[in-house]
Amino acid sequence: MSAEREMRMSTGYFASARAMEGDRRGFVERLLDGRAKYLVGAACIALCTVMLLPLLASVLASLKSTAEAAAVPPTYFPHGLSLDSYHRLWNFQAGLLTYLGNSAGAALLTILFCLGLTIPAGYALGRFPVPGKEFFFLVLLLGLIIPYQALLTPLFFLFVQLKLHNSLVGLAIVHTAIQLPFSIYIMRNAFEAVPRELEEAAVIDGCNSWQVLVRVFLPAIVPAIITVSLFAFITSWNEFLAALVIMNKDTSFTLPLILAAARQQTSIGGTDWGMLQAGITISVIPCIAFYLLLQKYYVAGFLNGAVK
Amino acid sequence: MNIQPQMARHGRERDVHHVEMRGVNKRFGEFTAIHDLDLSVGKGEFCALLGPSGCGKSTILRMIAGLEAVNSGSVFISGVNVTRMHPAKRHIAMVFQSYALYPHLTVRQNIAFSLSVAGASREVQAKRADEIAGLLQLGHLMDRKPAQLSGGQRQRVAIGRALVREPEVFLFDEPLSNLDAMLRVQMRIELAKLHKTLGATMIYVTHDQVEAMTLADRIVVLDRGVVAQVGAPLELYAKPANKFVASFIGAPTMNFLAITPTAYAGRAVTLAFDSASASASPGLTVQARNVPDASSPPTEIGIRPEHIAITNPSDRRAQISGTVQLVERLGNLTIVYLSTAAGQIVAEGSGELDVKVDENVGLVIDTARTHLFGTDGAAL
Repeated sequence: MSAEREMRMSTGYFASARAMEGDRRGFVERLLDGRAKYLVGAACIALCTVMLLPLLASVLASLKSTAEAAAVPPTYFPHGLSLDSYHRLWNFQAGLLTYLGNSAGAALLTILFCLGLTIPAGYALGRFPVPGKEFFFLVLLLGLIIPYQALLTPLFFLFVQLKLHNSLVGLAIVHTAIQLPFSIYIMRNAFEAVPRELEEAAVIDGCNSWQVLVRVFLPAIVPAIITVSLFAFITSWNEFLAALVIMNKDTSFTLPLILAAARQQTSIGGTDWGMLQAGITISVIPCIAFYLLLQKYYVAGFLNGAVK
Repeated sequence: MNIQPQMARHGRERDVHHVEMRGVNKRFGEFTAIHDLDLSVGKGEFCALLGPSGCGKSTILRMIAGLEAVNSGSVFISGVNVTRMHPAKRHIAMVFQSYALYPHLTVRQNIAFSLSVAGASREVQAKRADEIAGLLQLGHLMDRKPAQLSGGQRQRVAIGRALVREPEVFLFDEPLSNLDAMLRVQMRIELAKLHKTLGATMIYVTHDQVEAMTLADRIVVLDRGVVAQVGAPLELYAKPANKFVASFIGAPTMNFLAITPTAYAGRAVTLAFDSASASASPGLTVQARNVPDASSPPTEIGIRPEHIAITNPSDRRAQISGTVQLVERLGNLTIVYLSTAAGQIVAEGSGELDVKVDENVGLVIDTARTHLFGTDGAAL
C-alpha cells in the first residue's frame, strides 16, 4: 500500500511540477505576449505623452525670448532659442544661487534627519523585542493621516519661540516630520527582510548590536536607504506650504517659493512666464536626475521592503 | 569563602565533557521545546544531534551557541558555565544551514570578518585568511563575492569563517541540506577529513540519518525535545532503545508487527502475529534482550527489511509467506513490498532478487536480529 501511495505521490509531484512550469511566467509576461503587447505599448505611450507634454511645454517656453514667452496666443515652439529667461532668473531678487542653495540645504538636512531617525527606529522595530512595538509602529504610521497643513500655525509660533523660523534646520525638521511615517515603514520592512542567520553569524563573530548594525545591516539595506533618501529629497525640494509659512525673509526662500514669487513680481507688471518656466525647468532637473540615477536601488528598496 | 580552588576542581572534573548541558529546559510561550535535557559531548568528539524536524535539535545547538536563552538549567563549555555568556566569548563557531555569508564582503573579508571585528591588523587578517583558504582550497576565489560562488564553495567559505576563529567547539546546523545529493556526499567526506585533521569537538545537527551514521562518533537521537537514545551509530542500529529510534534509523524503515507472546523460556519468547489466524502463524520464537517480565509483555516486533530473506513458499525455513505487491530494483539491492497474514512487510535483499509482482513467496526472518517492544514503545 505504502508503495502504491509513493507511486501516486511521485506522479502527482511531476504533474504539479509541469503545471508550475506553465504558470511560472508572471502576469506581466503573459500580458506582453502576442497581440496584447501592442495594446499595452500604446497605453504606455499615451500615458507617457500625457505626463511628459507639460514638462516639454515648460522646457520649450523657458527657451523662448521674453516677448515670445509673453505672446498671446502663445506659440507652441520657440521661434528662436534664447537664454534670456534663465538670465533673468539668475539675477532675480537675491539671485538663483541663494535659492538653489537653500533648497539643496533643506533637502540634504531632511535626508540626514530622516536617515538619522529612521535607521535606529527601523533597527529597533525590525530586530529587537521592544515591548508594545506594534502599537508604537501604528502610532508612528498615524502621522500619515494627519494633514501637516493643519498644524502649520501652531508650528509657526513654536518655531518663532525656538528661533527655528527662517532657518534651514527648522524647515528640514518640518519636512522630516512629513516624511517620517513612510520612511519608518520602509526601513522597518528592510530590516525585517535581512535573514536572521546573518545577524547571528555576526554576533558569534564578536559583533555587538552597534557593530551588527554598521557591519551587516547597513550594507544590506542600501536600497532602503536610497529609497528613503530619494523620497526625502523630493518631498523637501518640492514642498511649498511649510516653506512659505516658516521662511519669510527673501534670502531664506526656497525654489518653490521663488517660483511663486516670480509669478507675481515682474518689472513690467504682468507674469514673467519665461522666467517662471525656466525656474520650473531648473527645479525639475535634480528630481529627474536622481530618480534615473538611483532607479535600480529604489525599485529594489520597494520590492525588498514594502512589498513582501 | 574561597571560590577559586573549588572552581578549578570543577573545571578539571568537567574537562572530560567538553560541552555539557545539565537539566536544560526551553519553552517558547506555552510550548516546551526542550524538556530537562542532559547532554555531554567529549573533547574531540563528533556528535550528531539527529531527529525529525521540530524535535528541538536546532534549538539545542542554538542554546550551546548562546543564540537562544535557556529557561532553566546550565550549559558548560570546557568546564566553564557559559549559560549567560555572550556567544562570541564561548569559543564556539557555527556553520549555518543557509551559510549566512555576508553578501557585501569578498570571500577573504568574510573569512577574516571575526578578526576584523576583534581589531586585528590588515596583515594579520590577510595572512590568516590565506592560511584557511589553503586548507579549504579557496585560494582562487578570495576576491569573489558570495553571490558568485556555487553552493559547495559557499559552504567551504562558511566553514573557513568558522575555522579562522580557532574555536574549541564547532557547531553545524544542517550544513549540507542546501546542497544537491552528489555535492552532499562530497562535502560529507570533506567534513570527516576536517574533523580528523583538526581533532576539534564538533556538534552536528541533521535530520539525515545517513549523515549522522557516517560522520558521527556518537549520535543523540531526539524525539519531541527529549533524548530518545544516545549511542554509537551501529549501536543505535543494532540495539535501538525504543520504537522511535528503531523507526528513525535505517532505510527502508523497520517493519513493525503487532504480536502476542504465547510462551516464555528464559530470554526466548514464542509469539503469534495478532492479525494472522492461528493456522497461518506457526509461531515464531525470538530472543528478547532481557528476560521478559510477564506483567509488561511485548506487543510489537520490529524486523529490519534487510533481516528478512525471500525464499520459496515451500522452503521449510520460511516462518511466514506473503504475496509480492511491488518490487523496487536499485541494482545493488532489491526492495520488495509484500502482503502477508501478519500485515504489510518490506523486505530487502542484496543484488537482483528473482521475484515478480503477485508471486507467492516464503519469508525467512532472522530471529536473532529482531526487536521486541512493549506498549510504551521501549525495547524489551
